[in-house]
Amino acid sequence: MLKALLATLTLSAGATLLAGPIQAADYPQRNIEGIIQWGAGGATDNVARSLTPHVEEALNGKIILNNRPGGTGVIGMNTVMHKPANGYTVLYGAENPQLYPVMGLADFDYSDMTPINVIGQGMVVIAVPADSPYNTMDDLLKAAHDKPGELRMGGTGAGGLPSTVLAMINSVDTLDVRNVTFGGDGPGITAMLGDHIDFMPLSLAAAQEQIKAGRLKGLAVLSKERLDVLPEVPTITESLPDIGSYLPWGPFWAVAVRKDTPDDIKATLSKAYQTGVANKDFQSFIKRNGAETLNLTGQEAVDFLNHWQSVTAWAMQSAGTARVSPEKLSIPKP
Amino acid sequence: MSTSPLKAGERAFNILLLLLSISILVVAYRISGFESVRSPGAFPMFLGCLLVLSMVVIIIGQRHHPRPKTTGHLGETRQFFRTHLPPRFMVFTLMTIGYLLLLTPLGFVPATLLFMFCAIVYLFRGRWVLSALVTVGATAIIYALFTLLFQVYLP
Amino acid sequence: MGDTLSYFLMAWSDPWLLGLVATGTFAGIYIGAIPGLSVTMAVSILISFTFAWDINNALALMVGVFCGGVYGGSRTAILLNIPGAPSAVATAFDGYPLAQRGEAGQAIGLSTVMSVIGGMIGIAILAASAPVLSDMALQFAPRDYFLIAALGLLLVGSLAAESLARGIFAAALGGIIGMIGMDPVTAQGRFTFGSVDLLGGVHYVIVMIGLFGVAEALFQLHQLDTTPVRQKVDKIIPSLHLVLRFLPLSLRTSIIGVIIGALPGTGGDIAALFAYDHAKRTTKTPKVPFGEGAYEGLVAPESANNAAVGGAFVPMLTLGMPGDAVTAVIIGAMVVHGLNPGPMLMIETPHIFWFIVGALVLANICLLVFGLMGIKLFARVVELPRAILIPLILVLCVVGSYSINGSMTEVFWMLGFGLLGYFMKIFGFQMGPVILGVILGPLMDKTYRQAMASVGDSSSAFLMDLVTHPLSLILTAVVVLLLLSHTPVKRLWTRR
Repeated sequence: MLKALLATLTLSAGATLLAGPIQAADYPQRNIEGIIQWGAGGATDNVARSLTPHVEEALNGKIILNNRPGGTGVIGMNTVMHKPANGYTVLYGAENPQLYPVMGLADFDYSDMTPINVIGQGMVVIAVPADSPYNTMDDLLKAAHDKPGELRMGGTGAGGLPSTVLAMINSVDTLDVRNVTFGGDGPGITAMLGDHIDFMPLSLAAAQEQIKAGRLKGLAVLSKERLDVLPEVPTITESLPDIGSYLPWGPFWAVAVRKDTPDDIKATLSKAYQTGVANKDFQSFIKRNGAETLNLTGQEAVDFLNHWQSVTAWAMQSAGTARVSPEKLSIPKP
Repeated sequence: MSTSPLKAGERAFNILLLLLSISILVVAYRISGFESVRSPGAFPMFLGCLLVLSMVVIIIGQRHHPRPKTTGHLGETRQFFRTHLPPRFMVFTLMTIGYLLLLTPLGFVPATLLFMFCAIVYLFRGRWVLSALVTVGATAIIYALFTLLFQVYLP
Repeated sequence: MGDTLSYFLMAWSDPWLLGLVATGTFAGIYIGAIPGLSVTMAVSILISFTFAWDINNALALMVGVFCGGVYGGSRTAILLNIPGAPSAVATAFDGYPLAQRGEAGQAIGLSTVMSVIGGMIGIAILAASAPVLSDMALQFAPRDYFLIAALGLLLVGSLAAESLARGIFAAALGGIIGMIGMDPVTAQGRFTFGSVDLLGGVHYVIVMIGLFGVAEALFQLHQLDTTPVRQKVDKIIPSLHLVLRFLPLSLRTSIIGVIIGALPGTGGDIAALFAYDHAKRTTKTPKVPFGEGAYEGLVAPESANNAAVGGAFVPMLTLGMPGDAVTAVIIGAMVVHGLNPGPMLMIETPHIFWFIVGALVLANICLLVFGLMGIKLFARVVELPRAILIPLILVLCVVGSYSINGSMTEVFWMLGFGLLGYFMKIFGFQMGPVILGVILGPLMDKTYRQAMASVGDSSSAFLMDLVTHPLSLILTAVVVLLLLSHTPVKRLWTRR
């Protein structure tokens, strides 16, 4: 026990030294808690953990990150909304909160908080196993038209990225598939590597290594222009031009605090996060993961969130997958 | 095959569990009814059926077991409390509940000091100095371990 | 070949890396031992902590923590009946009775040696046949995972000591507890009664701490005045004779551990339970009955859960896909550090593979040293007067369950499970099947629905799949055979 205690003390002394002296300015006076609404090892977690050290530097304070996953992120967001609005709890979220109202998951979204920074946006690629008979998006659509309801699509549950992409495709074409739900991109890719599903819309960050290694084939990227990281993969608009009206679209990451947080704290945080996101190392991290940084704050961030919500919610409405009509929630048409 | 006498309160407990199982089955049915073979409620309903069935098997299996050697329901209740819920158990459980309730308002360290000291003194029936020493030592170690090393926020 | 060896020895020859692996292993043992502190959590804290470090240093520390943590869970399981981690649940079945008999020291000693043997076998298989094993793991379709879960649930037969009906009840109850929360497919709440707190479900560690730790502490109140058994603290290090006697069992269960660990959908907790069941089925005449302190019941899960560590690295290093929650976080760490974990990892950066293998071997050696250190001191914990031990266990359980999610709701749940466990214990229900249900129930629900969705909700196609694919056919046959041989309908009535 004594040994454990000694180890404790030495390690914690080390930790304090690494954290550096905390500035005498008003904020932050103590450690800030960063709540990540997705589990350890996921895309949101990776983004949060890569970004935070740069923000800590700019903020001259320490941010302790905690994962509070569960319920498509509802749990984590709910936790932050019930902590005091003093700027000592920040939320690291993904795009999901913007769909809570339409999916009937919760009655709050980002508009109930203040976005500090919209960090960046990921890209989506529709992938099939390497030995799949489908080589283009047209092949896939044709197969689905010939045999409706027989293709197996990997999904991540209601409100997840694959079902949203499916809804977008269904609002301009018909893609009738069997939706096999997995715990996330990782388990879905694993199932695809074993040929247990036929295709899956994936975040580029999760799929690009598999595509580069030839274990998966990319049929289309959800973009108007081909991507630098995967130049040989066509865009989805080459097969489905109508989907262009939704683009650019992709999952995003954002940092938010409670609405009634004092304005000067919001300003301090915004500045620190802006500096953190602009950091060269972080920029190249995001680029390597097939995403782009946005670094939006203030009104820009709010506009981005509103636009994203209106595009996605109405696409889901026209595909018939929205549980609550966006009209009822007074989400404007794009 | 054993036909040892039932423990005091065993039948009541089993019936309670049966009622619990039935209500679980009802709640499971309410999730999605018989919507499809893989509706969210399908597997819970299957488990609910298992609960009810196994409990029925247990209760039927015990119908020939002799009742506990007590006089009537009142006697059985009294014996149940004497053997399974003695005052010491009740007091200790109440102390624990009190501890949980006080954790947030008082904070981790004061609440833990209070709970451990009271509990140890109560269970030891005295020995104030030893209890105090153990309490302070244990609280300090736990606090150091969790907040300093593992950076867990304690209430 | 020369390169391979130098990568392998990298962690051994650099004193700084050596120190990091050792520190990680040491810290891991205690993180694993404390219920509520998980290896997953520790490794994700390490991502931030090691952000500015070199990737090798960060990996050395994480590998150490992983190995130490998986082993450490057994310590509190043996001493206090609180499994420090889910993979130590099966260890508690026989480890705790051993401690109650005065053999805590021997139990920890044996579990340490067996963990290291299991760990080494896991690494050997990882090093020798990672690509083959990962190709095999990919063959497992959702229906096969469903069959594995079903196979796991049949373990109820060997966990429920006296009454099969009670075992089934307990397992089904566990399954229901596992269902609480948001349904991953439709995002609709199950057994949440409209509460947002319950949407995330009840963490199974909460259930575990309550049913094992708190229930046992409350039970001990009855024996407050009996003096605890004096611990025999001589002969802590198991004799060669003893180790050799259990070596065949350890080898077999290690192989179970590697395979279950390498499957991306299952991990050390399930591996340990399977191993325990295997030990019970194959040991016809244990010196002490299972559940009352059989050495076999300790050897099997401890070998298997450490072997599963090697297994978990198989899909991670060959495909960039996590084998369990911890390797998922390590993959995250590699991404953060600028590596590209994927199928090309072994080709583009072979040194990472051999470096990890080398660090794993080193961590297991550290485990042997640190694990055997201070056993005498730990064994004395069991000798503490119960008046001190019981409140201490309760505080530990409270802190542990609070630290999982930082919410008091979970702590109240934990106490609730403690009380439930106390009454179930009184009336002859076993705790093992409940945990089995909590772990396997959600897996079974998920994989059943995946398999059903894949065949377009046709039950007949689902059943056909179970017998037309070679792998599924084997698993189906095993399930049916076990069902017939171990749980005949007749026994259901006679063994109640």
